[in-house]
Amino acid sequence: VKAGRVFLLLVLLAVAGGGAWLLLRPHPAPVAGEHLTVYYTKIDGSELGAWDVSLRPQQTGESNAEHLHDAVVYAAVQSVAGPPGDVAAVRFPAGTHVRSASVEGTTATVDLSREVGSGNGGSFQETGEFKGLVYTLTGIATINAVQITIEGRTVETLPGGHLELDAPLRRSDW
Amino acid sequence: MHRFAARIGSAFAILVLLATTVVRADTVSYAFGRSSLAFSHLVQTAGGTAVGINDPALRSLLKSLGASLTWHAGDRDVLIATSSPEVVSFAVGDPHYSVGALTAQAAFAPYVSGTEVFVPFDDLMRALGIAPQRDGKTGVLERLITAVDVQGFGLQAVLVARGAGVLRPRIVSDTSERVVYTFDGVGTTLAPTRTINAGGIRTMEITSSGTARDPQTTIELDLAPNTRHDALQAGSGEFEVAFGGNGSAPPLVEPLAAAVPPETASAQVNAAPAPPAEIVAQGGSPSPAVEPSASPSAAAGASVTGVNVQANADGSQTVSIAVTGNAAYEWHRLRAPDNRFWIDITGAQLLNGPQDQAQGNPLISMRVRQTDAQTVRVALSLVGDNELAVSPSATGITINVGTTTVADAPRSGQGTIGAVLSTNEPQTLVTPVPPDEYGAGSEDENNWKFGGAHNGYAPANPKLIVLDPGHGGSDRGASRADLQEGVLNLDLAKRVRALLIARGWQVQLTRDTDVDVFAANDSAHDELQARDNIANQAGARLFVSIHCNSYINSGPSGTTVYYSKPSDVSLAQIMDHDLAMGGLDTKDDGIVKSHLYVTLHANMPAVLIETAFLSNPSDYAKLTSPDWRQKVAEAIANGIDQYAQQNPVAGSAQ
Repeated sequence: VKAGRVFLLLVLLAVAGGGAWLLLRPHPAPVAGEHLTVYYTKIDGSELGAWDVSLRPQQTGESNAEHLHDAVVYAAVQSVAGPPGDVAAVRFPAGTHVRSASVEGTTATVDLSREVGSGNGGSFQETGEFKGLVYTLTGIATINAVQITIEGRTVETLPGGHLELDAPLRRSDW
Repeated sequence: MHRFAARIGSAFAILVLLATTVVRADTVSYAFGRSSLAFSHLVQTAGGTAVGINDPALRSLLKSLGASLTWHAGDRDVLIATSSPEVVSFAVGDPHYSVGALTAQAAFAPYVSGTEVFVPFDDLMRALGIAPQRDGKTGVLERLITAVDVQGFGLQAVLVARGAGVLRPRIVSDTSERVVYTFDGVGTTLAPTRTINAGGIRTMEITSSGTARDPQTTIELDLAPNTRHDALQAGSGEFEVAFGGNGSAPPLVEPLAAAVPPETASAQVNAAPAPPAEIVAQGGSPSPAVEPSASPSAAAGASVTGVNVQANADGSQTVSIAVTGNAAYEWHRLRAPDNRFWIDITGAQLLNGPQDQAQGNPLISMRVRQTDAQTVRVALSLVGDNELAVSPSATGITINVGTTTVADAPRSGQGTIGAVLSTNEPQTLVTPVPPDEYGAGSEDENNWKFGGAHNGYAPANPKLIVLDPGHGGSDRGASRADLQEGVLNLDLAKRVRALLIARGWQVQLTRDTDVDVFAANDSAHDELQARDNIANQAGARLFVSIHCNSYINSGPSGTTVYYSKPSDVSLAQIMDHDLAMGGLDTKDDGIVKSHLYVTLHANMPAVLIETAFLSNPSDYAKLTSPDWRQKVAEAIANGIDQYAQQNPVAGSAQ
């Protein structure tokens, strides 16, 4: 009988301990990525609209530089693709895509495909499309400026263009 | 038996509870520079180390960094205003936290235990620019330089290093082609080398050495020969140096021209209260007008002589920026929860050095800096999305920060300050000057239209307007059917020219035929710079570029005035007003700031007018009408006249 009581006591202690642990253990945060705001210029040509995307968390073994590079590429791709088609936004010319992106210091360089120069547009299109891209990328911590290149080359402006592109662009340019 | 077991179980549960709260509370001694901080409110959780916000060591650390922590019980937010100024915010129950505009993922969500709020220790340290390392009961908090930014401004550049605590380097080497700054006690993980090629800086190399307890960061700059460099400020959270010019050039920043030796540099120079400045608010015709100063030094720019904060009886606070001279300003604010506001005063010098002030509610902190050779920035950290009003005052600029919050407050604005009208001159009368008398007589010097300087720019020929018909030659611009933008732009510019000459202006077109301005098939840079060169070399009063807009579909329409520089704003606003009132029957798309080459590189106030959209059927029909184009020309000529009337310039440069 005594052995039975001891056994029962141990069981109760185990149950109580387990219950207390379940109740009081710290709850780890859900693993979600960082959030990034992707901006676009509304069709009025000046106001910004935005939507949020999630960036995947930094992986074990992934360096800060690699993680930042991936974030910059993802942000640039999202921005150049623009919001869903039913949103009235100033958009890059059809076919424009991000060829690559890199980070040096606080400047992100985004290499766009040649289609970006096919817009035959005025100040309206250039101002709107690059404003959204620069606002998006400079929303990433440590990125203060964005250098645009086209097909791997720095350009002074788009063909027949208006915007100065041979130096990094900043939010303060708009 | 059951009662006995229940007692045992309860006792065990209490023991477990104590073990998870009290027993896990640690005291850990962290080395932080030369001091030691004993954190007594640290708790180990499965997600990592949590620190109580009332931990004396944490408070001491924040104080040494120039940061302040507040707990908002209603919103369950922990806000930390740093000296950057950047707000770090944590919310109870939310595993995300914010550093300025960026949201990041914490190891675990902040939580409340008893009367204490606990936040993730490592995440908080990283947000403050500190790398924590721990080994049992001891650890090291390593201050970091988190960013080194080089901002180019034409031939000048400003290097800004940001990080935790006071950044005051030693100048290890200082020659005409190399300067080396060493920051003792600060580490970094930044990329080691960068090519700059701005403001005389060729390359920059950043190296980190030493240990976590005694780190050292060196920034080595390879300079072009005879590049000047002047320390703008060294202090809490930031170190700034301006580069540019050469040995024969004037100082980069007159009031701060002497480089501040590291040993004596101070970021805590308080601005003395400024005497009332003799300026009046622009646009207020009932306001007493004053004679514009004829002093070349006064005409060349403005000075910010002091910034004061006053608490009002209703709980609001008023920031008064004392400004002497003429200047333009532009302000911005971010959306909650990043409740930062800043105003840039362009064409101004900060006379009394940087200023940092911790405030209370609704203004958490204020920071005043010379951010480049021509710009003074006043940055505010606000408690929330507070109602805020910016207005020119009799002594400069007044910012009223109210106690109520506004869900959708304006996010930006701009304006000008300075003398606007002369008391002994007509305010509305346009006085044409016969073309053959241009520059000939002293009578013109007293005429409002041909006066002296404004916004720091002194036109060598204040009677000259340069009109730039966009595109032309090998660059056709936009087109639709048989209409070429370059041809339309030239037609419009010639119409404006005829009107301006009839009103007494000198006018020069950058091109008066369908040609490239620089050379056939030239580069965009050469072509656009050539247009600016015509105006810059002639010392023109204004530069107006005329274009037709276009888009990839027919949706957008209307008339837009683009500008780039703060000194362009007033011209853009007036031009937009006159175009809107000119009976054009196009949509008024307002004024838009952009990084356009021709407006950016024109020394004088400049705008680029997109008259209408070739790609829009309704606008296209108007562009084909000579009568409509004449209306546009009249509106542009009216805008130039009105700008000159409202922005007189004292004396004549001729």
